[in-house]
Amino acid sequence: MSVRSDPLSFNRLQSGDRTTELCAILTQAKLVRINKVTQEVEPALAESWTVDADHRRYTLKLRDVRFSDDHPFTADDVVFTFAALYDKKNDSVLADSMTVNGKPLTVAAVDAHTVTITFPSPYGPGVRILDNVPILPKHKLDAAESAGTFAKAWTVATPTADLAGAGPFVLTSYAPGQRLVFDRNPHYWRTSASGEHLPYLDRITVEMIPDQNAEMLRIEGGQLDVMNDDVTAEAYAAVKQAANQGRVQMLDVGSAMQADSYWFNLKPGAFANDPRASWIQRDELRHAISMAVDRKTFADTVFLGAADPVYGPVSPSNRTWYWTGTPTTPHDPKAAKALLATIGLVDRNNDGVLVDAQGKPARFSILVQTGRPRLERAASVIADELKRIGLTVDIVTLEGNAVIGKILSGQYDSVYFAPTMSDIDPATNLDFWLSSGGFHLWNPSQKTPSTPWEKQIDDLMRRQSAVSDPAERKRLFDEVQKIFIEHDPIVYFAARHIYVAVSSRVTTVIPAVDLFPVMWAADQIAVKH
Amino acid sequence: MTAYIVRRLAFALFLVVAVSSASLVLAEIAPGDASLARLGPTASRQAMERARERYGLNRPLAVQYGDWLLHVLRLDFGTSMLYDRPVSELIPERAANTAILAITALVFATFVGLPLGVVTGTRRGGLLTNAIRGGSIVLLSMPPLLTSLFLVFLAARTGWLPIGGMRSATTAGGGVLDVLQHLLVPAAAIGLPLAAMFERLQSQAIAETIAEPFVIATLARGVPRRRVIWRDALKASLRPVAAVYGLVVGTLLSGSFAVEVITAWPGIGRLMLDALSARDVYLVAGCAGVGSVFLACATLLSDVALAYVDPRVRE
Repeated sequence: MSVRSDPLSFNRLQSGDRTTELCAILTQAKLVRINKVTQEVEPALAESWTVDADHRRYTLKLRDVRFSDDHPFTADDVVFTFAALYDKKNDSVLADSMTVNGKPLTVAAVDAHTVTITFPSPYGPGVRILDNVPILPKHKLDAAESAGTFAKAWTVATPTADLAGAGPFVLTSYAPGQRLVFDRNPHYWRTSASGEHLPYLDRITVEMIPDQNAEMLRIEGGQLDVMNDDVTAEAYAAVKQAANQGRVQMLDVGSAMQADSYWFNLKPGAFANDPRASWIQRDELRHAISMAVDRKTFADTVFLGAADPVYGPVSPSNRTWYWTGTPTTPHDPKAAKALLATIGLVDRNNDGVLVDAQGKPARFSILVQTGRPRLERAASVIADELKRIGLTVDIVTLEGNAVIGKILSGQYDSVYFAPTMSDIDPATNLDFWLSSGGFHLWNPSQKTPSTPWEKQIDDLMRRQSAVSDPAERKRLFDEVQKIFIEHDPIVYFAARHIYVAVSSRVTTVIPAVDLFPVMWAADQIAVKH
Repeated sequence: MTAYIVRRLAFALFLVVAVSSASLVLAEIAPGDASLARLGPTASRQAMERARERYGLNRPLAVQYGDWLLHVLRLDFGTSMLYDRPVSELIPERAANTAILAITALVFATFVGLPLGVVTGTRRGGLLTNAIRGGSIVLLSMPPLLTSLFLVFLAARTGWLPIGGMRSATTAGGGVLDVLQHLLVPAAAIGLPLAAMFERLQSQAIAETIAEPFVIATLARGVPRRRVIWRDALKASLRPVAAVYGLVVGTLLSGSFAVEVITAWPGIGRLMLDALSARDVYLVAGCAGVGSVFLACATLLSDVALAYVDPRVRE
């Protein structure tokens, strides 16, 4: 398979880049695993668990298994991993995602194969959160943790013989800029439904191919079995042709769980000395944009037809959490113009350009990441559609790091971006929903909610994340979606259809809508000899 | 001559420091920073601030730059924020890979481009001459990015050559033959346009040289034309090509960056691309410094060679 760049570390607790995460998927195991097809929680290193009546304390029974270096896995490894994760010296990239209301989980060993995990307060998703953390071998990293050097342990310069894990594969070679080679872990514990020992593959070679065109050529040429990402709209025709000729297999995985996002800078005071302050942060502007953009045209142009319209923060493909009452916003440019007139944006001289009360054109920019054709096309379509109702839109393209920098510093008008959520359960993405969250895109890290509706969402989400009754959690989240759509802090247009390409020699694969659509279940990939 | 070389060396040193410094400052003032790349956009503001403090990014730019310069004087090029490793550990292997690629392409371009230039510059017409000229014009008009994509496509469809990388996964230790096989596509992608440029330059230079009185006189004395061209005229016509050699190495390096990405060649171009997109300022400065060392060395060698054959240059 291929990746775009080198891993930044072999220690997943210390680095969140995509290649490091792939290495962790292949070499490490977690206490539980979310099945990316069913979205259900499955046993992993914990073979079973029970929960106390207060829904705070979980007791997990651990498997009697061994790490790849034949060292036994015990409860000490679990306690050690969480201690390293929460150790302030280490500044782990996973620490924030493993807190509930800002407080860490308490992990204790009962015996060699039993641990208890206590949540600081009742937490709806429960053990689902444990899918975030790979369990590390204490015997390999304890010395570094004791010496205070855990953050610098397992760098990419670490000899592969010093690494160990309980995942399906073990890293046996790393050539910087070229490839990572993973061999089968002989001590891996999972078996298939028919009782065969997994993984099926003896070896996975991960080649570093920075360019997607070159990656496409390699898979067509039979020199690659699995692509780094799903098939992009622009590559679809070529892959389809190759699939028709039997050179590759194209698998239809389904609609993305989340649509790309378009939002305005809603930070209070962001436009304080700007003549546009009277209208640019108004709900009416975003509602009008939602009505002005024809979602069918959008899907046809941006995704070449392979997309489904989306009208709210949750895509219909997320069947568990989608609010079935989500209203369908009609494509109605006339109504959009009428709505804009209510905030003072009117065409005063019939030249087709809306102007504000001072006679200045209603003009703003869309920030978009360069090198992502899908996002760039989307920004162009939005700009074209808005021009039809008289809004003047400038597109500003910057590379990824710069876009995120602008978002975090609040130096933008509006942005079209593709943020990723860690899980479909909304309570695991509180940093997005809560006004205090760093990922509350339109106005992050607020000290107190700046609008009444954000306060309402804060209250509902806090309750939603604390109750354990699934029906009540769904009802509360439906309420959240209703409020969200009433104010449209983010406008959604379409969720792309996801296809993955694998070589014709791949016989077994379980594709899913995920950041790693094929590799999430790497232990079940099989190929013809 | 010694004074000339010392002057050129001083300029080369200035070039390296200036390019590295400019790269560091430009990467630093661009929006976004390394803590974003390391932690990801979903990291909390507090975690981001802690990372910025750890990397020293919360200090004023002048302080960061001064600190870096002081360390550079002690040959400490800083620690990569992306990989958490010293820059001096990350660069040598990648720089060597780029040097292998660049030198192979240069040697290929020289030994193919110059003889073809002699052929086209000394013949008035004919199928061979026109074919070479036509080929050169096509290659010159194609950027290395397109040439490499075409060659990768050809390699993928025919299966004759490895499509990318530097060594096969199956070759233990990576034999020389294996590296050479992998080298063909990227070296050709860089070398072919360069060979075309040398062919054009040499063609014009030798066409002018064979009209010089000393060539006509030699021919008049009955020395065979082939011998006059390949021995006397060629040597005399090399000056214009030698003069642009240093600049050519500059374009060679910038061209190799794009080719490295397409052909997955693990060189310094790819390292710098990753460093740039992650705003890993010390790694960016280190990569740019190495690039300017290549350029300075090539310019120096080219200037010295030119000064050797043309004493006027020394003045």
